Amino acid sequence: MDTGNDKTKNGPPTQSDDYLWDGSGEPDPEIQRLEGLLGKFRHDSPAPVFPEIARHRRWTFFPWRMQLFPGLATTVAAVAAIAVVTFLVYTAKPTPTSVAGWDVSSVEGTPRIGRTTIGGKDGTSRLGIGQMLETDRQSRASLQADDIGQIEVDPSTRLRLLSMGSGLKRIALDRGTIHTYIWAPPGQFVVDTPSAVTVDLGCAYTLQVDDSGAGMVRTSLGWVGFKLNGHESFIPAGAACATRPKVGPGTPYFEDASAEFRAALTRFDFEDSTSQQRAGDLEKVLREARQRDALTLWHLLARVDEGQRVMVYDRLSKLAPPPAGVTQEGILRLDQPMLDLWWNELGFDDISVWRHWERSWAGSATAREK
Amino acid sequence: MDRSGDRTDLLAGLGPGPARDRSASEISQDAMWVTAARDGDRGAFGQLYERYARMVHGLLLAKVPVADVDDLVHDVFIRALRRLSTLRETASFGAWLAAIARNVANDYHRRALPEDPLPDDAADNEIKGGMSRADHEGPATAVLDAVMSLPDAYRETLILRLVEGMTGPEIAARTGMTHGSVRVNLHRGMEQLRAKLSPDPNRNRPEQERP
Repeated sequence: MDTGNDKTKNGPPTQSDDYLWDGSGEPDPEIQRLEGLLGKFRHDSPAPVFPEIARHRRWTFFPWRMQLFPGLATTVAAVAAIAVVTFLVYTAKPTPTSVAGWDVSSVEGTPRIGRTTIGGKDGTSRLGIGQMLETDRQSRASLQADDIGQIEVDPSTRLRLLSMGSGLKRIALDRGTIHTYIWAPPGQFVVDTPSAVTVDLGCAYTLQVDDSGAGMVRTSLGWVGFKLNGHESFIPAGAACATRPKVGPGTPYFEDASAEFRAALTRFDFEDSTSQQRAGDLEKVLREARQRDALTLWHLLARVDEGQRVMVYDRLSKLAPPPAGVTQEGILRLDQPMLDLWWNELGFDDISVWRHWERSWAGSATAREK
Repeated sequence: MDRSGDRTDLLAGLGPGPARDRSASEISQDAMWVTAARDGDRGAFGQLYERYARMVHGLLLAKVPVADVDDLVHDVFIRALRRLSTLRETASFGAWLAAIARNVANDYHRRALPEDPLPDDAADNEIKGGMSRADHEGPATAVLDAVMSLPDAYRETLILRLVEGMTGPEIAARTGMTHGSVRVNLHRGMEQLRAKLSPDPNRNRPEQERP
């Protein structure tokens, strides 16, 4: 059977996907057939017997006999506490390392945290707040924080851990390449680069920064927000977005778009061309755009001048008709709620997740942008 | 400091993301079981196993050979059990467990790299247990192979839906993905799968060739 009988073929999912989504609606015979065939691989093992779990026990400092003499126990405890505090005060080192941090393991070669090489007996270490992790051309590392996610660090990369707050976990990627898989709630993991701020919105992505500070993000799962200088870009799975120092994020695009489309978009975003050349590049982008390139066209609405916006609106309307409540007049004056409504219609993800987190970390992001 | 209020605000402000999509009772039940398991309650960990085993099985099946999946499911839960005390956001248990499953699958492939790789023919024709691939061939295997040839995101989501029988909302709730992402992955993954399985060569075209 073919579900491609309506706009779901190329556009966002609609009612015809109900059976695929939650088993409701009219059963789809092809999906039922696949369920029947593939069901033989389904998990059907009973729960195994798990080993004894170590209990969280209250640590008893004093042997039971001491409990018969509570006064003596209190005195001993006080003396011991004074001794420990005195020892800690006199032996404390002024290092920036905090308990909060990422576990780092060497995958290859000898990555360094500050001046310390990782790659000892177990090859693990810890990256604390304020510390820098660096890999050379032969080394790679892996970072893991149980409540945030995992980062694979490629050779020739330098990153710093900026914060590990309960609401915002932040690193800076000065140069190199990282591959992240984040399971912290959307909006909590932020990567500063020299030319943009990357905000995880529940995803896996690769982020590259070259020596000039230019960057590129490629999303493989979920979506990513990219932000600087008032430009914001949303990059869903399968899409990429470049960024340049002093310019900020370019316009995101699907990597399977035509070469001509991508080249014209890059020139439009970053090259110092004449207005005539820019108009020519925009025309090429609009002409080459496929249905899923509505992603790019939606972003362009806010990046072109008023005269060009009508052209972008017209093309985008043909590829992904605006939903009820979205008017041409509203889009031409960049009405935010209408833009958001249209974005949600494109089927990538709900933009309210971004709007919520944009408000929540606006303060710190603004500080970074200034 | 009482953080319960923060949590309420957080959920209220979110769009239809995973935290909001999951029912409050399911989140609190996970948290309760995680807490109890940390205190040594094996029954509570068993409940978590019952809830999440299909997800773990599906995520592994998307990356490793069928014959090894059951053993690795066990490894994932043992690893989670040992590290349970390090999990601070109990509400994120599913996403945390999914990450462990993906790591276990990655470790499997790192370990499985042979020092002297078999010639292509031998590797293709021989699989675990000395059985030939032909012994395993069949329509189900052919369909699974087609699913395995899809991009990662589509493969995982489709396996959870078509093999493990989970609904879209369940997949979102268990893995921590948003409803939107799961729905789009299902839709586009299914579209690509149909194209791969279709005998019609005009239909068997990659997604990028669509208008």
